[in-house]
Amino acid sequence: MSAATQDLGTVTRFRRFLVSDHVAGWAFILPSVVLIVIFGILPIVWGLILSFQKAGLISPEREWVGFENYARIASDPKARQAAINTIYYTMLFVPISILLALFVAHALNRKIALIRFYRLAVFIPVVTSTIATGIMFLWLFDKNFGLANWLLGKIGLGPFGFFEDPNQAMIALVLMTVWGWLGFDTIIYLAALQGVPNELVEAASIDGASRWTTFWRVTWPMLGPATLLLVVWSTISALQLFDEVFFVTHGGPLGRTSVVVFYVYRLAFEQGLGSLSLAGYAAAIAYVLFLVILILTLAQFWLGRRVVHYSS
Amino acid sequence: MASVSFDRATKVYPGPVVALRELSLDVADGEFLILVGPSGCGKSTALRMVAGLERISEGTISIGGRPVNDIPPKDRDIAMVFQNYALYPHMTVEKNLAFGLRQRKTKPDDVRRLVDEISRMLGLEDLLRRRPGQLSGGQRQRVAMGRALVREPEVFLLDEPLSNLDAKLRVQMRAQLKRLHEHVGVTTIYVTHDQVEAITLGERIAVLSEGVLQQVGPPQSVYDHPANVFVAGFIGSPPMNLLEGTASDGRVVVAEVELDRVRAPDGPVLVGIRPEGLRPVGGDHVGAAFDVGVDLVEPLGDEVLVHGSIDGLDGVVRPPDAETPLLADADADGAGSNVTIRLPPEERPSAGSRLRVGVAPNAVRLFDPSTGRAIETT
Amino acid sequence: MSSITAPAPTLDEPIDLTHLEGETGMVERPRRRLLPFDPWHLFLAPLAFVMLLPLVWMVVTSLQTKAQTLHFPPILWPGTPQFVNYLDVIRDSAFGTWFWNTTVVTVLVVASNLVLCTLAAYGFARIRFLGRGFIYFVLLATLMVPLQVVLIPTFLIVKQLGLLDHLGALVVPNLVNVFGIFMLTQFFRTLPIDLEEAARIDGASRLSILLRIVVPLSLPALATLAVIQFLWTWNDFLWPLVTILTNQDAFTLQLGLATFQGAHQTQWHLVAAANIMSMIPLIVLFLLAQRYFVRGIATQGLKG
Repeated sequence: MSAATQDLGTVTRFRRFLVSDHVAGWAFILPSVVLIVIFGILPIVWGLILSFQKAGLISPEREWVGFENYARIASDPKARQAAINTIYYTMLFVPISILLALFVAHALNRKIALIRFYRLAVFIPVVTSTIATGIMFLWLFDKNFGLANWLLGKIGLGPFGFFEDPNQAMIALVLMTVWGWLGFDTIIYLAALQGVPNELVEAASIDGASRWTTFWRVTWPMLGPATLLLVVWSTISALQLFDEVFFVTHGGPLGRTSVVVFYVYRLAFEQGLGSLSLAGYAAAIAYVLFLVILILTLAQFWLGRRVVHYSS
Repeated sequence: MASVSFDRATKVYPGPVVALRELSLDVADGEFLILVGPSGCGKSTALRMVAGLERISEGTISIGGRPVNDIPPKDRDIAMVFQNYALYPHMTVEKNLAFGLRQRKTKPDDVRRLVDEISRMLGLEDLLRRRPGQLSGGQRQRVAMGRALVREPEVFLLDEPLSNLDAKLRVQMRAQLKRLHEHVGVTTIYVTHDQVEAITLGERIAVLSEGVLQQVGPPQSVYDHPANVFVAGFIGSPPMNLLEGTASDGRVVVAEVELDRVRAPDGPVLVGIRPEGLRPVGGDHVGAAFDVGVDLVEPLGDEVLVHGSIDGLDGVVRPPDAETPLLADADADGAGSNVTIRLPPEERPSAGSRLRVGVAPNAVRLFDPSTGRAIETT
Repeated sequence: MSSITAPAPTLDEPIDLTHLEGETGMVERPRRRLLPFDPWHLFLAPLAFVMLLPLVWMVVTSLQTKAQTLHFPPILWPGTPQFVNYLDVIRDSAFGTWFWNTTVVTVLVVASNLVLCTLAAYGFARIRFLGRGFIYFVLLATLMVPLQVVLIPTFLIVKQLGLLDHLGALVVPNLVNVFGIFMLTQFFRTLPIDLEEAARIDGASRLSILLRIVVPLSLPALATLAVIQFLWTWNDFLWPLVTILTNQDAFTLQLGLATFQGAHQTQWHLVAAANIMSMIPLIVLFLLAQRYFVRGIATQGLKG
């Protein structure tokens, strides 16, 4: 081969490399990857590092303290309270919202008059922000002037303190968040219900099953994947509750609604903004919560895979 | 007694869309009746009405002499095999088979016995622990049949059960279904769009089109004596040839050839002759014969189909439900084929050659060109 | 050659069935109808009432005078609607600024996501390149990490970039959302690859294929992504709370609304008006694009 031909070979190979799949692929994903590394991956790593430090948020203090932050969690009564509150909330929120959504989806899965209006009514709360919902319920549940106490009074109940009563505040939060999330869960269940082939219901009917039996022995098992998804999703959201607590009750009354993420925020951004260096401790708590969520999610999936049937 | 009777059964959907018009039909106890017709003809609707999956708009359907209009499916003692099998995906084969029995509060010992019998009969013993997702198409089909038969129903309904199987399996299953019916003997109503299936399987076939019953009878009768041009064109593949002819003085003439021993009232007439009713003859043949220009030859292995044009016959008559041809009719001399002839495999004329075919005795059917109905030929 | 079609079968006498309306559904045991309507309405109507009550009550409250709101038992109808409440909110607070800020941030974030997620998703879905599987896996893994874990470090990063207290803090970290990449990747994979392969054979570049073939086919998925991202960004509270500390000019709607409620605790007529105004854009968007909201949520479901 002559020298000229060899040069052409290199140029062609370089050009081919430029338009090769590898370069093309990286070109397409590069902007996104850069952003995600900076704002997604870096924080995850940094958060872990912070959890091993005594760190200030505004102040530049960074002192390595090893597992001290993590150990502190165990002896911190506020952390314990936050954990208990969070668990209490989750154990109320998850079953109630899912069971209700199942029933509502079943009710909405029919062609009767006004069905589109009913669906709209159930779905619309999905678009209201946590603050907007908070305001609506603060007003509804107002102890003195709220509509709720008035209506309940008409059937002989109440008056209730709702958000202002230490024993009722969390339940009021559950009611409010269930209202806000019902549409979301219902959409998922409705989609799943509509995915059940009608022929199965017909076959069951011919086989002699009543409507009740058909629902529980034929339809419900086919909702397994959707149910598992909702359980996992609801649990994760419940454990991360923040906006409503911050805005509506601010952790009160008497700290009875202080949940973990709220406590993390308080430590880092309320108490920690001054001279106190609590960012590291807050990060540690955040990571512990993360671990809990991770383990719980894996457990739910593992259990789910064994119980839930996925049709081929 | 497990006969099934349709008495002017009608089904109207919101629209209004009429799916079935006043179907009147009796299925005798133990008979294997096939409902056949193109898509949308109402055959599945009729079947589902017997099952109770569709409400009856007007008329009555009776099972065993008892009107069942208001009786829900589960109280009708019928069983059905769906086109897509509708097996419960989260239950094992065994549970699928037992489900119907358990719903009827059958004693566990009897459930066990019946499930065993059915699985032995259909060869499902090794599959009992598997789920439908792990079975092949043919296996699923057998489970679907097993689930229906295990309850020993009065009426057995099948909705295109073979259409999801590949061609070879379909042919095997056809024979097995026939044998099964002979063995079990339960009243069976079977829906298909495949007229070959209909003719081979049915004791009687009922041809439907657009919600109306066209003809009912034993397969051979329907094949030999179609009641109208639709049945003539639908049953039999390739369809019956339809040739434009004229009758005058009682004699019927097609392309200036007089047909033997057929009479019709004066006027235009449609002459139907099946492809096997035209046989090659020599120049000295006595009796009606056509000169045909060969356009296209299709060798099928066991026979040969010849598509050609009859000299002196310009028009092409297509049966009512035919598709428009792929190529518009114009070729070099503007001629399309108007006749199809069935020949034994050794005869292989070439395209462009000429052929003389005679009309076999009793092969001619006559139809009224305005209504399409068959006319008595003698 | 002329061709005619033999006549289709006709009925002897045409049957008049126009008196039948037709219905669908299985045969059911005839049940005595106690009610002139389907019994499910007995559940659905009260449910709809409960779901809409907070909104409706908020609208009513926003049209009352302060005296009317602070009356017990509650007055259910204002008499003369006080639309002036809305004007008062706009006049006495920075509502306009908050609204504008939120609009700007949301539009930028949605636009950026549409562009970047589409590019990245196409790369993952259709291009085989070194490291593809690994990178995709890592990205998906970040979805598993909850917000509170990255809250503090992201705050510190934003602070380092000097964006704190500015709208930039709200836009830059959200320019691309991994969920959007995931959703579009899944979607692109469902498109028949034949179209793209035909275009490649015709010599088109990858970018050109993406813009001219894939994107037009993906409009519903893109609309869904836009709608979901719009919802998230518009309603976001925690992140603006954390990053906008003192600069009131950079408050978003949610932040402003929360502050407003805190400052006007007993003036429910004003708070209600502010609340309603903040919800209107999303409610309108929802009514216009219901299908996409529903689809978006159902897709989030498939993510599991």
